[in-house]
Amino acid sequence: MKKFDYLKPKSIEEALTLLDQYGEKAKLIAGGTDVIVMVKQKTMAPEVLISLQAIPGLNEINYNGFLSIGPMVTHRMIEKSELIKKDYSALADAVSWLGSIQIRNVATIGGNICTAAPSADTATPLLVLGTQVKIKSLKEERVVPIEEFFKGPGETVLKKGELIKELMIPKPLPNTGSAYYKLQRRLALDLPILGVSALLSLDKNKVTCADMLCTTSPISSILHKMEEDDLVCKEVRIALGVAAPTPMRAVKAETLLRGKKLSDELLEEVAETAAKEAQPRDSIRGEAWYRRDMIKVLVKRMAMKSIERVIQPEETVFPERLW
Amino acid sequence: MEEFINVGKRIPKMDAEEKVTGKAIYIHDLKIPGMLHGKILYSPHPHAKIKSIDTSKAEKLPGVKAVLTGYNIPPIKFGFYKDNTPLKANKVCSLRDEVAAVAATDLDIAEEALDLIKVEYEILPGVFDPEEAMKEGAPLIHEEHVGGKEKKPTNVLNLPWRLIAGDVEEARKNSAFVAEDRFKVTWVTHCCMGTSGCVAQFDLKNNLTVYSITQIPSLEQRDFTEALAAMGLKGKKARVIKTMIGGGFGSKLDTYAFEYIAILLAFKTRKPVKIVFSREEEFFATSPRQPAIIDIAQGCTKEGILTFRDIRMILDNGAYTSWGATTPSVMMMPISSLYKVPNVRYIAKCVYTNNTYSQAMRGYGNPQATFAIDSQMDILAEMAGIDPLDFRLRNANTPGEVTPQNFKIVSCGLRECIDAVAQKLDWRQSRGKRDGRGVGMASLIHVGGGARVYKSDGCGTIIKIDDFGTVNVFTGATDMGQGSDTVIAQIVAEELGVRVEDVVVTHTDTDICPWDVGAHASRTTFVAGNSARGAAKKVKEQLLEIAAKSISESPENLDIRDRTIYSKKDPEKKSPLGKVLRAAHYAAGGSMVMGEYFYDPNNENLDREFKGNLSVTYAYGTHGVEVEVDKETGQVKILRYVAAHDVGKAINPMLLEGQVYGGATQGIGYALTERLILQNGKVMNPNFLDYKMLTAKDVPNFETIVVETNDEFGPFGAKGIGEPGLVPTAPAIANAIYDAVGVRIKDLPITPEKVLGALKEKAK
Ligand SMILES: Cc1cc2nc3c(=O)[nH]c(=O)nc-3n(C[C@H](O)[C@H](O)[C@H](O)COP(=O)(O)OP(=O)(O)OC[C@H]3O[C@@H](n4cnc5c(N)ncnc54)[C@H](O)[C@@H]3O)c2cc1C
Repeated sequence: MKKFDYLKPKSIEEALTLLDQYGEKAKLIAGGTDVIVMVKQKTMAPEVLISLQAIPGLNEINYNGFLSIGPMVTHRMIEKSELIKKDYSALADAVSWLGSIQIRNVATIGGNICTAAPSADTATPLLVLGTQVKIKSLKEERVVPIEEFFKGPGETVLKKGELIKELMIPKPLPNTGSAYYKLQRRLALDLPILGVSALLSLDKNKVTCADMLCTTSPISSILHKMEEDDLVCKEVRIALGVAAPTPMRAVKAETLLRGKKLSDELLEEVAETAAKEAQPRDSIRGEAWYRRDMIKVLVKRMAMKSIERVIQPEETVFPERLW
Repeated sequence: MEEFINVGKRIPKMDAEEKVTGKAIYIHDLKIPGMLHGKILYSPHPHAKIKSIDTSKAEKLPGVKAVLTGYNIPPIKFGFYKDNTPLKANKVCSLRDEVAAVAATDLDIAEEALDLIKVEYEILPGVFDPEEAMKEGAPLIHEEHVGGKEKKPTNVLNLPWRLIAGDVEEARKNSAFVAEDRFKVTWVTHCCMGTSGCVAQFDLKNNLTVYSITQIPSLEQRDFTEALAAMGLKGKKARVIKTMIGGGFGSKLDTYAFEYIAILLAFKTRKPVKIVFSREEEFFATSPRQPAIIDIAQGCTKEGILTFRDIRMILDNGAYTSWGATTPSVMMMPISSLYKVPNVRYIAKCVYTNNTYSQAMRGYGNPQATFAIDSQMDILAEMAGIDPLDFRLRNANTPGEVTPQNFKIVSCGLRECIDAVAQKLDWRQSRGKRDGRGVGMASLIHVGGGARVYKSDGCGTIIKIDDFGTVNVFTGATDMGQGSDTVIAQIVAEELGVRVEDVVVTHTDTDICPWDVGAHASRTTFVAGNSARGAAKKVKEQLLEIAAKSISESPENLDIRDRTIYSKKDPEKKSPLGKVLRAAHYAAGGSMVMGEYFYDPNNENLDREFKGNLSVTYAYGTHGVEVEVDKETGQVKILRYVAAHDVGKAINPMLLEGQVYGGATQGIGYALTERLILQNGKVMNPNFLDYKMLTAKDVPNFETIVVETNDEFGPFGAKGIGEPGLVPTAPAIANAIYDAVGVRIKDLPITPEKVLGALKEKAK
């Protein structure tokens, strides 16, 4: 492995100054689970690694009207947050399937989105949750919606001398549920063949209906029963990973569902639309036709799962597998 | 029944603590003063002429001590077909072809030096499909290789695998039902936790020592002695010393280019040279399981009695030849002898391609053949309208049977295994619903009492006992993680009436340990166990002889139990073992207690027709699975897994279960997820991210059933279990998937894409 210097600044300012000073020769390092792999594979050869490990405050999860996640927050910390499990379930799903516990103990959410892999597990949950990315350089601080953050495989809007300071996620609307599914070939240490996130906010009145809260019947049959009740989807976001060069929102599919009465048939149509607007490709990890087919299946299932999490909040069942 | 003290006990592996605490010394940990690090430059093209090599820049790099190419090494040839050389000159035939090698003072320098070697190639057209490679006009991998009656240049190897028993054509005519299918299996690799490596060192007299992680120390010693001769060092000695081995699974049954390269670099530099593979090299530059295209037909009568089995196979040999090309010799075993089948024909061809070349891997051809045979058993059962369980029971092997290949079946618990699996899975209730859940089973036969593939199938043991009763066992066997040291210790302790902790097993050094043919064919417990027991018996005789005087009792009336020699007639007459030993040793004209024994099982080489009783006895087993298939995604989930094995006798039930768990886990990977993806000869997934070996989270709860048939020839009744655990896994899963959703997948691995694709096809 090529040798490098390792610097450990104590403040953001110091880090930014170092970043400025070393320019192209430097690379930020958080948990190092991407950076070190790339150095070993010789796809990256920094002379200096600037660690964000010693900067106080970057590894905190706070709630102040909105959810604030520091870039150095590890996946394991997110996995253990009750608040995130309850109100931002898609993100909790994603980290619970990321790598292995050993990886989750060191790998960070900041690193995950900065690597900008089309397969990044936290990317699609962050997309459906409406995340804003706070970016800082010596000169300025700016906020970019996550939709605009990813530019291509391995590419982000981050410019030279910039780092991520914070991820800000708004408080969800009442009666909102979200879910993420990682389609993978084994149950740990895998990247997704496809990642699908959904978030649905439902019409409030209908959901408090008592007989629904205590039901244990499958969601599709509940949907059936509710058709007369006009259960409306007030807000919806659908995001796909490994379905395009960057993690993407399925905007056409969302438009089809937003403000509409929920039904089995409509969800099917929404999923079909999502599959059409995706641009999956063939790779050794999966074939395009299969990815497209699975978007159809999984968008519907994740929409169902989101609804289930609104209707049966006590049974926050995490989708271990699809059955 | 005899009451055992050490045999049949769940004793943890003797090296377990050392391994889990990181204290064990693997090849990666080994450092020798003055040691250099070697690195290999591989070809970037699957098929090309080498036009020129310029190593001058690399040689000048400070820290570089030697650079070798195919043009400045002696003519060493290796592999049983002798078609491979340590470094290639003139031409490269695959992407794992070694073109140059460097020895330097550290690994970084060695790597940097590789980048400085300039090689010019002229690219040649490649061939990557064995059926294409067989065609007239296909690119020739080895132009000088000729075959056929006309001795024409060809990619087809001169290995006429051909087994014929009875009359297949006649039997086919008389069959009520005949199934014909094509199955395909692809490359999978061993995934040893420890990557390959060695350290080679010469002394001042030019005798060679290689620190190695081989499964075949004695044969490796012979190979290296041959290499020394080729290097002009005829008569010099080769010594093989093993460090702890991080997994074998057959991958270390041959010698490899990297070992010869380390030897050549050590000779050139006069320093110890270490070569250890990176994980990437481990994936693309070691030899995987043999892939095959299998055309199979089987027939049966109206009553469901098998009439014939007819198989043709094409094996992708890759660019060079190792034991992968001989896997048909073991495939013949299930083909001729899994279930009773009177008429058998098997013809296999090995074909050179520009792909990687294959080797032995757990099962040695048996998993490939059994996938085809036992998948098709279900197909045939359905044609005949018989429950696959009944179909198997009707054709099951029985003790005393002589199979069409002339195997003499001694103990055979196949029927018991099938019954046990059916009962555990509640077969009659669970089967045939087609509701997304299904059950399937498949069986196996494997050599269980050695396998005479070389002239000798033997193993030697030497035992000495010190003055305090510590028993040193020097065995030819190789413990590569399977726990053979522990099993040997149990056998010796049982025979000598001492405790397992009194026994120290040494297996690491060809200068100290006796000869053994190698850790293959699930033979170690059987062959090395019988050998150790034989040596222990001799030692015991001596002990009783000596004790007879001091206890004043005739030796026949003495026995040893818990470190004490006592009279069976009068248990009050006794003496501690240590005391007897000291008395013998320190007396004037004293003696030490030592014994040796060479056990070579009474089995036969296959004759020219590939018939003969290959093994003294045979192991059987049946695996049963319940799966759930997601019809929308094609994903397969294993709900239950039952593995029943006829093992003769479980010397150590815990280690035995370990072999079954590990085998079945590898088998599930083979069935569902694992494959080396080769595109134009290039391994596209040389890492654990994209090579889908299963993790602890994927492993189902294995229910193991041990059927003890107490084989008359086995040590304390034991038969082999090393390989059987993964032999029937893939067909059992394929059969269960068929039962669940009615689609039959005939090529491995059974990915969700294939299942979903087949479901769509079926819905059309
Ligand atoms: C065995 C293994 C399994 C894995 N499994 C998964 C998986 O299942 N799913 C998945 O999505 N990923 C997986 N990964 C990839 C990796 O673990 C994740 O992407 C992880 O979140 C990266 O975080 P890190 O802290 O290690 O990042 P690092 O490697 O430290 O950094 C990654 C990149 O982010 C940049 N960076 C880090 N912090 C900042 C910041 N604050 N501002 C600007 N740039 C920054 C770095 O410069 C670098 O370019 C796996 C990796 C390994 C080794």
